Amino acid sequence: MTDDPQHPASETVAPQHLSPRVLAIHPLRSLRTFAIPLIGVVILGQGSSSSLVAAAVGVVFAVVIPLLRWVTFTYSIRDDRLQIHQGLVSRSTRTIPLDRVRGVDVSAPLLHRLFGLAVVHVEAAAGGEAQDEGTLDAVTAAEAERLRALMLRRRQATGDVQPAEPRTGPAYARLRRRWFLYAPLSATYLLAPLALLASVVGFAVEIAGQVNGVDEERARRIVEGVLGAPEVVVPVLAAFVVAVPAVSVLAFAVINWDFTLRGRDGSLVTERGLFTRRSVSLERRRIRGWELVEGLLERLAKAGRLRAVITGLAGEATRAQLLPLAPRSEILATAARAVAPFEAALTAHPPAARTRRLFRACLPWAVGAVVAWLVAPWPLAVAFLVLAALGVPLGLDRYRSLGHAREGARVAVRSGSLRRRQAVIEGRAVVGWTVKQTWFQRRVGLATLVVGVGAGRGGYSAIDMSEEGAAEFAGHVTPGWVEPLLVRAPRRGTAATDPPTVS
Amino acid sequence: MATDSSNPAGPHLDSLTVGTAQFRPPARRVARGAIALWTVENLIGVAFAVAPVAAFAWLVDATDPAWLPGFVVEHVWWAPLLALVLGAPAVLVAPTWRFAVHRWEVTADVVYTRSGWFDREWRLVPISRIQTVDTTRGLLERMLGLATLDIRTASHAGSSKVEGLPAGVAAAIAHDLARRAGALRDDAT
Repeated sequence: MTDDPQHPASETVAPQHLSPRVLAIHPLRSLRTFAIPLIGVVILGQGSSSSLVAAAVGVVFAVVIPLLRWVTFTYSIRDDRLQIHQGLVSRSTRTIPLDRVRGVDVSAPLLHRLFGLAVVHVEAAAGGEAQDEGTLDAVTAAEAERLRALMLRRRQATGDVQPAEPRTGPAYARLRRRWFLYAPLSATYLLAPLALLASVVGFAVEIAGQVNGVDEERARRIVEGVLGAPEVVVPVLAAFVVAVPAVSVLAFAVINWDFTLRGRDGSLVTERGLFTRRSVSLERRRIRGWELVEGLLERLAKAGRLRAVITGLAGEATRAQLLPLAPRSEILATAARAVAPFEAALTAHPPAARTRRLFRACLPWAVGAVVAWLVAPWPLAVAFLVLAALGVPLGLDRYRSLGHAREGARVAVRSGSLRRRQAVIEGRAVVGWTVKQTWFQRRVGLATLVVGVGAGRGGYSAIDMSEEGAAEFAGHVTPGWVEPLLVRAPRRGTAATDPPTVS
Repeated sequence: MATDSSNPAGPHLDSLTVGTAQFRPPARRVARGAIALWTVENLIGVAFAVAPVAAFAWLVDATDPAWLPGFVVEHVWWAPLLALVLGAPAVLVAPTWRFAVHRWEVTADVVYTRSGWFDREWRLVPISRIQTVDTTRGLLERMLGLATLDIRTASHAGSSKVEGLPAGVAAAIAHDLARRAGALRDDAT
């Protein structure tokens, strides 16, 4: 197999094997997995012949199985189909029609990068809703680029697909190093070091248990001894306070190193990673809009995340990411460049919505406080009261977050406080409207309008709009099929004024 | 809508249209048999909720366990009674209330439904975006000559369900919608 196949100009790929270089990678990888058990077998077996035989068998398997897999694994692209043949005894053939391909991801873990290889991951929609996937692990980096171009470009019958097309597309965004400092503001990255710590501690306990036979009783005494000694606890806590943000920045940097977003072959392509370089292609014709997500801390620092609203993408949370963490202004500019601009100010929701947000944020805790006061020790009631009091700023902020707007063919809805999301959706992508009204909402003339989209989260809610506002809004976005269902009552009360906007 | 008169901005563009917009109710009611359907369904549901509570009460009453305070043991039969009282509206009130609320209509472009009782929901699904139309008939529905129409698009928020349609009507609509969805098919999902 070569990097330069026989028919580079036609949209076919003759049946071929993966890169032979994987024969170097896969044994290394399986050895890494088996190394500790193997060493264990040899040491525990104290070099007895049976343990050596077992180790030899392990090594042989680590080499032979990848070899067999390589020999029996071929792929081809012909007649607009990707076919993957594999299996020694039971042969299997997976056929993915190219018009069902929804995304081609190319990733290169460290080991692969050293050998100039990449893993191609083809995601396709199966006949039904289920996802069907094909993975080529691994081909040369150039071949990966060529396959990606082939599979995503099939619609434009250019007939001229160059291998390893240069990155000609414009870079819509590039992650700056100093944005790494936003990482501790993001719950995801702040929790990363804690998870790491937990696994390290768990591992240490397990090792200690195996090595010294530390029983639970002794372990508990050690822990209690440590916790009872301030000269140990204080520095540890201090180190912890310093280390957690530092590690979260580090984790963020490793995952998102040199994050770039660019356009290529009718797709948006993101690339990121320090050790494992990962690239995700999002087909433009499947993108229905974008979403700005801001955690509370991120919002205080005027930072946020940008995500594409895209149809039929599994693992959307990370893969649809267009910018992992960046200043808000940068996110809006990137969204405007890469997907679609949206500059209209959001219309605030009626004051009744504020009352409702406040009620919903405070009432459950207040009820809890009363119940706790009656049946439980008083500290619990106080805790509930504190939560109820915190509900006031939370409810007010939730109200401030509510908003909706329309600009040209696009709509925007926003809600949430601890995690505020603003979705901007193409009007033509709306596949349905739902108006929800609880009994309480009906009493005060509010309704929640859900924009149905066959992408992303499926539905984007404009919570607590005015009844009339919801009907008007739907009518303006998709007049063709909503207007016939509207009736217009003579205006009541004072002349309408422009509803206030929110920032 | 409570308009904010303190806002200094000029008249809104939308106010050029006369009056305030509202969704009109969909034209058609569901079959009257739906009341019976919902009554039986909710009756079964309430029975399933009350039964374990009653069983627990009976067990407590019979065994008089020491770990429960005397007050609880004495009044343990209040629990199933309370469950029954809470469940009663679902059987006695909800079905007729639902019948008053549930409406549907298929216009030239949209499947338009209203449903709910205490809380309400309006759904508008454009026919051009419909992906599948199912009619299902459970045992109860078959006995009552009813069917449920299940209309789906690529989004759960753009999908709709009409319960309690006469079986013949449901089948005819499903056929009609499938044909029209095919003819109007819009590429964007």
